Amino acid sequence: MYKLFKKDLKLFFKDKRSVLLTFLLPIILISLFAFAFGAIGGSKGSSNPVELLLVDSDQTIASKELVANLDSLKGLKIIPSDLSMAKKLVIKGKYAGALILHKGFEDSIETGNDIPMELWYDKARDMEIGMLQPVLTSTLMASIGKKIVQKNIESYLQNNFPNIDKSISDKILSDAINKDNNTSAFSLSSSIKLTSIVGEKKETNLGIIQAVAGTAILMLLFSVAGLGTSILEEKENGTINRLLYSPLNSSIILYGKMLFTFFIAILQLTTMFLFSWLAFKLDLTVNIPALVLMIIATGFAVSSFGIFLAAISKTRQQAQSLSTLIILIMSAIGGSMIPLFVMPAIMQKIAIFSINYWGIQGFYDIFWRALPLADILPRILVLLGIGIFMTLLSIRLFQKNVLKLI
Amino acid sequence: MIKVREISKSFGNIKALKPVSFKINRGEIFGLLGPNGAGKSTTINILNTLLEPDNGEVIIDGINLKDYKSDCKLIIGVVPQEIALYEDLSAYDNLMFWGSLYHIPKAILKSKANNVLEMLGLSDRKNDSIKSYSGGMKRRINLASSILHNPKILLMDEPTVGVDPQSRNHIFEVIEKLNKEGMTIIYTTHYMEEAERLCNTIAIIDTGNIVAQGTLKELRETSGAKDLLTIKLADLNTTTISNIKSSLPSFTLDSNFNTLKVECANISNEILIVINHIQNAGGVIESIDTQIANLESIFLKLTGKQLRD
Repeated sequence: MYKLFKKDLKLFFKDKRSVLLTFLLPIILISLFAFAFGAIGGSKGSSNPVELLLVDSDQTIASKELVANLDSLKGLKIIPSDLSMAKKLVIKGKYAGALILHKGFEDSIETGNDIPMELWYDKARDMEIGMLQPVLTSTLMASIGKKIVQKNIESYLQNNFPNIDKSISDKILSDAINKDNNTSAFSLSSSIKLTSIVGEKKETNLGIIQAVAGTAILMLLFSVAGLGTSILEEKENGTINRLLYSPLNSSIILYGKMLFTFFIAILQLTTMFLFSWLAFKLDLTVNIPALVLMIIATGFAVSSFGIFLAAISKTRQQAQSLSTLIILIMSAIGGSMIPLFVMPAIMQKIAIFSINYWGIQGFYDIFWRALPLADILPRILVLLGIGIFMTLLSIRLFQKNVLKLI
Repeated sequence: MIKVREISKSFGNIKALKPVSFKINRGEIFGLLGPNGAGKSTTINILNTLLEPDNGEVIIDGINLKDYKSDCKLIIGVVPQEIALYEDLSAYDNLMFWGSLYHIPKAILKSKANNVLEMLGLSDRKNDSIKSYSGGMKRRINLASSILHNPKILLMDEPTVGVDPQSRNHIFEVIEKLNKEGMTIIYTTHYMEEAERLCNTIAIIDTGNIVAQGTLKELRETSGAKDLLTIKLADLNTTTISNIKSSLPSFTLDSNFNTLKVECANISNEILIVINHIQNAGGVIESIDTQIANLESIFLKLTGKQLRD
């Protein structure tokens, strides 16, 4: 039994692919998920600051004081903006939300009226906004809370008890301000009007968009990687040589493979979206031209990736190991496994190095953010650029690696 | 028809083909005989344009192969050493696919595919997937896929490796039929019986060099390989040996087995003379074994090693 064990152990460690999949891949994925969930990457639980757009339409001492207080918070980074830009940036998904201090902000504090303060946000990023709210509330409390409460109570006492003794009213005011912070905070929290400007009117569940886009691209990567590596299979069984004996030249063979992989990618993506329409009522008609272009661009980028994998590998086994590794890493950082908006800012920045990111965000633009084609076009162009770059690289590597006889 | 002039090929430090030259006439079956690693496949891969020689040139019908690859590919058929077929497709679908690469009109291709399947005795299995075929049947389809476009030249790289006798005969018959129809065939093998049966001209290749070429008769003459007569005697004493020596100057003796080995330029002309000499010398013959000089002995003479080394 020991001899068998020893033999298997020897064989296992000789098989670099198995070792890679058994140890290295889980380590990489664990590290990525840990980063994604923010467990590591910061000191003692601190994480990168949440970025919040701020529009100060009041431009008064009180509003500026509040902006300064918010800006001094370690966990919050204030990005000054104007109304139209803030709206655009939130809709495009650049920022989770924008705090709007409307005109009359200072006056409302003085008069004790409702404070014209609004938080625009993307409904897809509820979680971020949920985390942001307590921070905003406590800062508001520190800045203007006491003044508001004081004004509210003074106004109430004046209206209801005009002849109240000043010492009694002072005592009430003092007690209310010093002992009832929770109630005050609650009332302040509720004084921030929350307005979802993205996804509010959508009938489609956000989870469905994430599931469809994320899973579709993940599965697509796996299937095209398999198709791409069929070139290596053809090399191994000699059919690629036989193709080369024919009047076809090597570039035509590669283009033929790419066309097939591209076609299957388009077919697979289309099937997945049609299924989502039938099973989950995903509205495919929301922006048909953009959807068609996104499917084509994503299919092209992903199929080029499949061919690229085959071109950089010398054997099928090598290509399979490499594809598993790269696809899982790209999917983890690109938002296929975990929605991008729950990841820390650093991860969101790294995500741009994956095909998944551009594909998923493109589909978000269509189905969630309902952006016009012109706004989605940059993502489509990036995907096409990735496809062209990988195709050119593959043609070069194909000649070098795949067609090498000995 | 084909002139190969001083072609050489190296892979890194390995010289797979030292400058090699040969000429193949139209309608000939030209055999390239040599052990594994001799340079046969490298030569074939240069002729089929898969490899470019480091030096030298290949001229086909007056055209330099290097300058007119695409044109030459249309008149060349290649039967690769490996079974290069799509295993999940049927034999018929494989033929239709491989034939379509040569721009053959579909109707003609269909008829060609059916004819070739008939010729190779596989019509009844034409719709079965290749993976259900025996090794020999796969080899036959491997050949069939290469002749659909009626090539003028057929390059066959060890086409019978691992083939059963029935399939081997089918393949031989097809080769002979194609050759009768005018096809020039270049046939590499390390089976001397195949080269002897099929080839008009043979080049013997070893370690990247062509050590000899010509017809079988010419090779025998060049190499000096002779027929061998092995005679077992009933009783062999020193007097008999001495008597035989005086009349038969060239023989070897294995006294342990009472056996004489005599080399003959032409065994059929010399056998009776040898028998008479032995009997006149007092030898009693128990058995006689004849071995005609063949490619094996020619190869041994020329290279000093066995063909299957």
